[in-house]
Amino acid sequence: MTSSGEPLVLGIESSCDETGVALVRGNDLLFDAVASSMEEHARFGGIIPEVASRAHLEAMVPTIERALDEAGVTLSDVDAVAVTAGPGLVGPLTIGTSAAKALSIGLGKPLYGVNHVIGHACVDQLSGGEFPDRVMALVVSGGHSSLLLVDDIATDVTELGSTLDDAAGEAFDKVGRLLGLPYPGGPHVDRLAREGDPTAIRFPRGLTAPKDQERHAYNFSFSGLKTAVARWVEARTDAGKDIPVEDVCASFAEAVADVLTAKTIAACRRHDVDTLVIGGGFSANSQLREMAAKRCAEAGITLRIPPIRHCTDNGAMIAALGSAVVRAGVAPSGLDIPVDSSMPLETITV
Amino acid sequence: MSGRTVTPGNGATAGAGSTSQTGTTPQDGAPAKGSDADAVAASTVRAAVRALGAGAGSVTLELPDADATRALGATLAELLRAGDLVILTGDLGAGKTTLTQGLGRALGVRGQVASPTFIIAREHPPLPRQDGTRGPALVHVDAYRLGGLGELDALDLDSSLDESVTVVEWGRGLAEALTEDRLEIDLARPRGGEPDPDDPESGVRRATIRGVGERWTGPRA
Repeated sequence: MTSSGEPLVLGIESSCDETGVALVRGNDLLFDAVASSMEEHARFGGIIPEVASRAHLEAMVPTIERALDEAGVTLSDVDAVAVTAGPGLVGPLTIGTSAAKALSIGLGKPLYGVNHVIGHACVDQLSGGEFPDRVMALVVSGGHSSLLLVDDIATDVTELGSTLDDAAGEAFDKVGRLLGLPYPGGPHVDRLAREGDPTAIRFPRGLTAPKDQERHAYNFSFSGLKTAVARWVEARTDAGKDIPVEDVCASFAEAVADVLTAKTIAACRRHDVDTLVIGGGFSANSQLREMAAKRCAEAGITLRIPPIRHCTDNGAMIAALGSAVVRAGVAPSGLDIPVDSSMPLETITV
Repeated sequence: MSGRTVTPGNGATAGAGSTSQTGTTPQDGAPAKGSDADAVAASTVRAAVRALGAGAGSVTLELPDADATRALGATLAELLRAGDLVILTGDLGAGKTTLTQGLGRALGVRGQVASPTFIIAREHPPLPRQDGTRGPALVHVDAYRLGGLGELDALDLDSSLDESVTVVEWGRGLAEALTEDRLEIDLARPRGGEPDPDDPESGVRRATIRGVGERWTGPRA
């Protein structure tokens, strides 16, 4: 498919700690520039909003310039500006939307405030091509765990379920915290899990009991699992026994991957969907990838996972979603759009 | 710390799930079940908060399960108004977010009240009630990763404080700076043991509620 006649969309992402700017035409990514304040944050043990806002402010203009430069275009070539309007941290979001509004006014080009979580699914169109008519999207990250039924990525997304408490990546970080691993603990837990026995400890699978089927068939809960790990570790510690850290991590990771994939495959079957997209930073998790590949193959479902650089927060996902909504003829956003830290997942554009 | 000195001796203990506390008795005299049980728990919570106003330094409630923790949040929502601050303290898994879920549902705010650990602060705007009016927003904060007052300041919570109920998990030693009046709730879960795999949040929690400032301890509290 040629995209030469498609509008050129500049996308800006700043919902958390990455300042991302990308240029997309159709489903072609021209360039994706990311500046991260994560290294600075790790010193303090996490995302520090004050630092993040200032870091976004300092990185914004250079990142825009770099993206344009590397893509070989100028600002006057840009046909539309897309920006994350939520969900996310209010301070960083405000930096991104302010930059996007300024560009929109300065260039006289339309502004599109879009949903970060839906962007995590849409970015797969850049590498995997246009979605078929109906796809299931599982978006899993430090801040989100949601199951979305996508009939049209630009106009029609239904939230089937989300986590009621901790997101999958957050549960990994908290288990890392209670095992004394460095922040963020998720990648450490993942690494240790690969060396352990996933069947060593039977940890609970949240919201999978028959009584939860009616209201919570597609919702997730990882808080009880986290608490179960904490209590198991405490009981061992109090008894003066060693903690088999690898087995704890493997059994915990198995429980998370089991629930995520079982509910997602059930949702695909129930809604007659044969393509699953897994997006968000947690899609890098080894156990999730393995189990999703196996269970999708068994169920005859095509599994699509974007390249890892597009799973973490980035500008390409926002430019991709911006491109989709522009091509669908969705009305632009007003220049007075607010940022929304708890933006509903069925709101694609504001 | 401002407010009354709290000693174990002057705290009133009440079982949120028990029927023996002061408060309304179901009119037909039937045993408390289902929503009646919630009503009893609610009356217990109201009595507990009244006790704070009457000079009890703190009150402790037993929460038999996660639904009781949510019920405590729901009843607190009736007593809270825009401008109020709640500081929640307790280990991972103690029920801080669970309590806030009940609070958010009863306030009638938009969106799923989930853990704010990653996002740090999430604002839930109020949904219109049946009569078209709106209550306060819920601002749900996790201060665990905040390094100090400067970072708390950067969240700009004071700008939303007057129109919102602000709940800060892990806020002790930091969020007190936001306002002189606050409700402090400590949650404790069982340590160790074998949680029920089918009900991973099982185990009795204890909530100790302390009011600080004129809003909660004064004669008009």
